Parts: sequence; structure tokens; C-alpha cells
Amino acid sequence: MVRTRTTIRTALRATAIAAAGALTLSACAGGSAASTEAAPVATDRDIELSLVWWGDDDRAARYEEAVTLFEEKYPNIDVQTQFQAWDDYWTARTTEAAGQTLPDVFQMDLAYIHQYASNNQLLDLSSQVGVNLETGDYDETLLGSGSVNGEQFGIPTSTNTLGMFYHQDLLDELGVEPPAEGLTWDEYDAWIREVSEAGADHDPQVYGGTDYTGALWIFIQWLVQQGKVPFAEDGSPAFDKADLVAWVERTQPLRDDGVFFPVERAKQVEPLTAMQVGQAATEITWDNMLAGYAAGAGTENLGLLPVPTGAEGSQQFWKPSMLLSSSANTQEPDAAAALIDFLVNDPEVGSIFGTSKGVPAVPAQKDAMELADGSIDEKIVTYEEEMADRVTAETPLPAEGYGVVEAEFKRLGEELAYGNVTPAEFADQWFQSAEANLGGE
Amino acid sequence: MSATTTERGRQAGRGSARGATASSAPARGGATKPPRSRADTRAGYAFLSPWLLGFVLLTAGPMLMSLYLAFTDYNLFRAPEFVGIDNFTALFADPRFLKSAQVTAIYVLVGVPVKLAAALAVAALLNAKHRGQGAYRSMFYAPSLIGASVSVAIVWRAMFIDDGVADQIQQLFGFPAGGWVGDPSMTMPMMILLAVWQFGAPMVIFLAGLKQIPAELLEAAAVDGAGPIRRFLSVTLPMLSPVLFFNLLLETIGAFQVFSSAFIISGGTGGPADSTLFYTFYLYLKGFTEFRMGYASAMAWVLVLVVGIITAILFRTSRAWVHYTGDVR
Repeated sequence: MVRTRTTIRTALRATAIAAAGALTLSACAGGSAASTEAAPVATDRDIELSLVWWGDDDRAARYEEAVTLFEEKYPNIDVQTQFQAWDDYWTARTTEAAGQTLPDVFQMDLAYIHQYASNNQLLDLSSQVGVNLETGDYDETLLGSGSVNGEQFGIPTSTNTLGMFYHQDLLDELGVEPPAEGLTWDEYDAWIREVSEAGADHDPQVYGGTDYTGALWIFIQWLVQQGKVPFAEDGSPAFDKADLVAWVERTQPLRDDGVFFPVERAKQVEPLTAMQVGQAATEITWDNMLAGYAAGAGTENLGLLPVPTGAEGSQQFWKPSMLLSSSANTQEPDAAAALIDFLVNDPEVGSIFGTSKGVPAVPAQKDAMELADGSIDEKIVTYEEEMADRVTAETPLPAEGYGVVEAEFKRLGEELAYGNVTPAEFADQWFQSAEANLGGE
Repeated sequence: MSATTTERGRQAGRGSARGATASSAPARGGATKPPRSRADTRAGYAFLSPWLLGFVLLTAGPMLMSLYLAFTDYNLFRAPEFVGIDNFTALFADPRFLKSAQVTAIYVLVGVPVKLAAALAVAALLNAKHRGQGAYRSMFYAPSLIGASVSVAIVWRAMFIDDGVADQIQQLFGFPAGGWVGDPSMTMPMMILLAVWQFGAPMVIFLAGLKQIPAELLEAAAVDGAGPIRRFLSVTLPMLSPVLFFNLLLETIGAFQVFSSAFIISGGTGGPADSTLFYTFYLYLKGFTEFRMGYASAMAWVLVLVVGIITAILFRTSRAWVHYTGDVR
């Protein structure tokens, strides 16, 4: 029976951690709130700040370089850094939130800002604006994406927008022209079909594109082009089940005919994508991913086009690729705001990061980048400059719980590709999840 | 039970005899218990305290807390809100929960017997007298030393993708080619193979059990004209049944908790199409990606209950098929 006890212990490890978190929560409930009045950051005493982000080694090296510059500017401030991969990052942050110990400054994502803000975890940076934090150079819409109910809980560092990548080398091998700019969704689907037929005898087999149905952001893009708003004020979906069914059904023939890159293969090449392994000619994703795609595909000869257009319009939207937030419990709100200010405004920081986080939101940082002709950075910046006319829609703000329903959307997309659910079941199951998770209580 | 009791008694006797010669024999005539002073008791508890503290703070406390949380709605941000048995009723209406229970059940029901059979078969081979038997034993045990590690899960994944080792073998034999990793109907065999491959621990225990079987029993059976199969079924298996029971218990409980290999192989999703969504994995997803700690706690307690019941059933049925030497029936 000794073994059984061990078992129970192991089986409960997850809940044990949860419970430990809960104990901490009760111990720290009502933890000290920082003073509300913003004052210029103190220079007469030593200050320690924590800075945490998600990302890889490459990003870490860039952050360290930026932090060194910051510490030179503020010799009395010592910045302690830490980073994790995306999934672990949110697990760690949530646990910290329960213990009221979130970092002084940390990367925030649009998918989570509502959840953290509405649970009083984030510092309202409004009072810091004009004192330690300058936001004068920001596009209003973009800055607005970091505010919830009129309070500024996050400062966007950079922007991205959806785009369609194409693999020029692969298309040359097949003798197919790249997709024309301004294709409609239906024309894009027809183009995929054509390329998949041309690539059927290629070794390895090449497909025109990957199944984009399971990407919630692309669905939202499609809705936006029809002039629809994805989420209502209370965070519930503002579109109908019929919209979702229509979205799923319109790509069904391509799945039935095996025209998309098969899901069986997609699961095997993870975490790379079909285009990165040279087996799909196009993919729709965020434009700042181009560098990663080029590294994966082993060629910089990738093209970047606007997403296909809808019958009613071609509008796109900016999405902050990430924001910087500060803990509501920070002891040093002034220094935290100064660090955020430095990271988003300083020109040298702009040239350190390039477009690796998306195109810098502030012109001073954008102009500081050295853009070699034909480089990935240059392609992305040019693309976003061209897109500026098409970005007419406001950033659709994801509701609280967005991260969960986005994952569910992706999972259902896979079930769909395996033929385990019908379009109607897809819509039913997703709406169930939306009801349970969106908009908090 | 009598065999073990006598064995333990004998050992205890030997121990005290040795103790008596080592120390300068405090009590004459084999008197047993020295009177225990209060100071000794205190010292005992003092030495135990690291474990006791750990148990209370890190095991018992959190377990009680999770029992409470199982009846609440708790997302780590807001204070837990008492919801009665809502979590438990929601569980049984949740298709993904039922799927995870099904996936785990198949894994336990198929994986455990296959693994035990493989362990027993290899143990029987290694029990025979050959040159270099020690080296073979080490080699067969090696996978178990590294099997639970992340790196092996990664290697396993690499073996079962398109043009991986498994795919090449299939092609060699003219089976329809294709990797297993992306095929929801093939991921379970792949996971079971990974588990079976780590048969080392039960194998060593089986081997020890086989060594204990008196050679004269087998010889007597042979003289009576029993063939190898008959000898195995009528002598070896019954003599081995306590060891078999022990292994069965351990492996069953272990199989319910499979997590890390599925986590690595499916890239943290339980996919493709939820085919590797093991129970503990779904619990993790609920707790740490959806942050529904109340729901996850309820799942944990359902698992404790189920494993407890299965263990109890195994103990109950063991009376019918487990024979201890010296039992008189």
C-alpha cells in the first residue's frame, strides 16, 4: 500500500501545485498596492526591476543588449531578466497572478490582456503618460488596443498584420506563377487547387497551401472584410453560428479532395509548418513571422502579399504583436513605466530588435532600423507601409478567455481535417466553448 | 502470508543476534525491547520531522486543499467560488473528458498485459544458463533507465514520422507506408510500444521471482512427464503469482499516470484528434492552459477514486489466484 500512497501523491501533483498557489493567494490577499501618484523616477536610491518575456535565445540576446543600454541611462536601476517559451510563460504568469507577484514589467498579448486587466492584475499606466512614459508618437487605434475600459493596461511595442507568404523557389520548380495581388478568397482556393495538381508528382509532394480554416484570427479577418465585428462589448461572439458554418463549409471541398497540405503531415512536421519544410507554396500568417519562415525554409526568397479579399472589401487591421504591461502590485511604478518607455521609444532599441517583434510601433524606432535591400526586415516594413491604406478596420479586441477559445478553434480545425466533425458540429462545439470561456463570469 | 511472516521473523532474530554481539549485550537471556524513554521518542520525531513537515505541507495540505477546490469554480485569479458538485456533473457531460478516460482505459487494458508478458518472456530467457548472461541482463534493462526521459520521447517521435525507422520497416514488408505520429488510429499502438519497450523494472522483479522457484519442483514435474509448457503453466506460474501480482499492481497504477511521453510526442496538445489525450494530460490542460483549477481538482479526485477502487478489486481477486509458498488451502 505504500506504493498506492506514492501514486496518489504523483497523480495529484498538478492539483498540489494549484493548491499551493491557492494557499499563497490567501496569504497574500490584499497585498500592498503601489502609490497611485506618478512622479519622475527616483535617481537617489537603488531600484530593482524584474523584466520577463516569452521568446527564444535570439530574442533574449536582443533584450539583454537593450537592458544594458537602459542600465547605462539609469545607473541606479538594476533590471533582473527572465524568459520562457510561450506556453510555460503563461503558466508561470498565471501562478504569479494568483500569488500577486507578477513582474514589474512583462510582455503581454492581446489574447490575455482582458483577463489580466479585469482581474485587477495590471497597472493602469495612464497616470504615467507624460511623466515617465511618452506615447505622443503612437497611432491612436494601436494605442487603444492596450486599453480596457478607458484605462491603459498595456503599451504596444510593435505591430503586425496578416499576410500571405509564398515560396518563390518552390513555385519556380513547379513552373507556376505566384498568386496575383488582390485575389478573392475563392480565387485563392482555386489557385491552391491548381498548384496542388501541379505539385502532385513532385518529390516530396507539394501543395498549394495549408488549411487555414482552423485559425481563429483568419476567420476574424474574413469577418472584418464583411464589415462585421467579431466580439460584442461583453466579450461574447458578435457573429452568428451561420457565419461560422459558412466559413468552415467554404473550404470543405478542398479538404474532401485532398487539395490542402494533409493534416497527418502537418502534425508530423510540427513545430515547423508545411511551407518551412518546402511542401506548401503559400501560407497565411502574421507578417513578422517571415523571418522565422525564411530560417525554416532555408531561403530568403519568400514573397509577402496581402490576404485574399472578400466580396465586400479588402480591409485589414493592425494587431499589436505584443504589449508591455506592469503588475498592479509593483513597488516601483515610476521605474517600471520608465523601462517600458525606453523599450518602446529608444531608437537604439529599435535597431537592436529590428522587425523580430513586428514592425516597431513608434516611428523613431522604425526609422532607426538599417534596412538592407531585399532583406526580410525590408520586406516586412515595405509591406506594412503598403498596407497602411488597407488597414481601415479597428483592431478587433479579443475578449477575456480568447486564448482558450482560440486553442479550441484550432483543435476543432484538426478534427475537421481528420473528418471527425462536420462543419455544423464544428460551429456547435466552438460556440459551447465560447459560452463557457468568453467574457469571464 | 505465513511464509513472509516467518521470513521476517527469522531476519529479525538474526538482526538482534548480531546487535547483541556488536554492542555489549545490554540484557541477558535474549530479553527483547529496551524500555523507550520519552527523550528517545522526542528524538525520533525530531529525526522524522523533515519528512513529516514535507508530508503535511507538500502532500496532505495541498491534497485537502484540492479536495476543497474540486467543489469550487476557481481560475487562479478570482477567489474560489463554491459550486457544489457542479464540476463532477460537468465532467460526465464533457466529451473530451470521456475521450480522455477512454484513451487511458485502452492504454491500461492493453499496455499493461503486453508489457508484463514481454517482461516475463525476457525474464524467462535471461533465467536460462548462458554465457554472458549478466551482460544481456544489463542490456535489456537499459531502456528502462532512459525510457521516461524527454529525449526518448523525442527519439520515439522521430522514429514514427514519415520515412522514420518504423515507416521504412513497413515499406520493406510492403505495408502501406506512412508515419504513425499524424495518424490518430496509430498513435495508441505507438504509445503502447514505448511503454512495453521499458519492461526492465518488472523484468528484474520477475527474474528474481524465477530464481526463487526451487529447481526440484521443476525436475519432479519433468520426471512425471510434464513438457516445458505444462511445467510453465503448472509450476512456474503459480510459484510466480505473488511477483506477478506485485508487478500488475505497480504497472496498472503507473499506466494511469502516463503523461510526459504523450506531452512530448503530441507537442503539448494531446493530438492528433485527441488520440493521445491521456487522463492526466487533460487534467493538466484544464488546470494549466484553461486555468480551471476547480475542474482539474475534481478530475484528480475522480482519478484517485478510480485507481483506489481498481487497486482494491485487484487485492480482492488476488486471493483466488495468488499463491504464497507455505499457504495451506
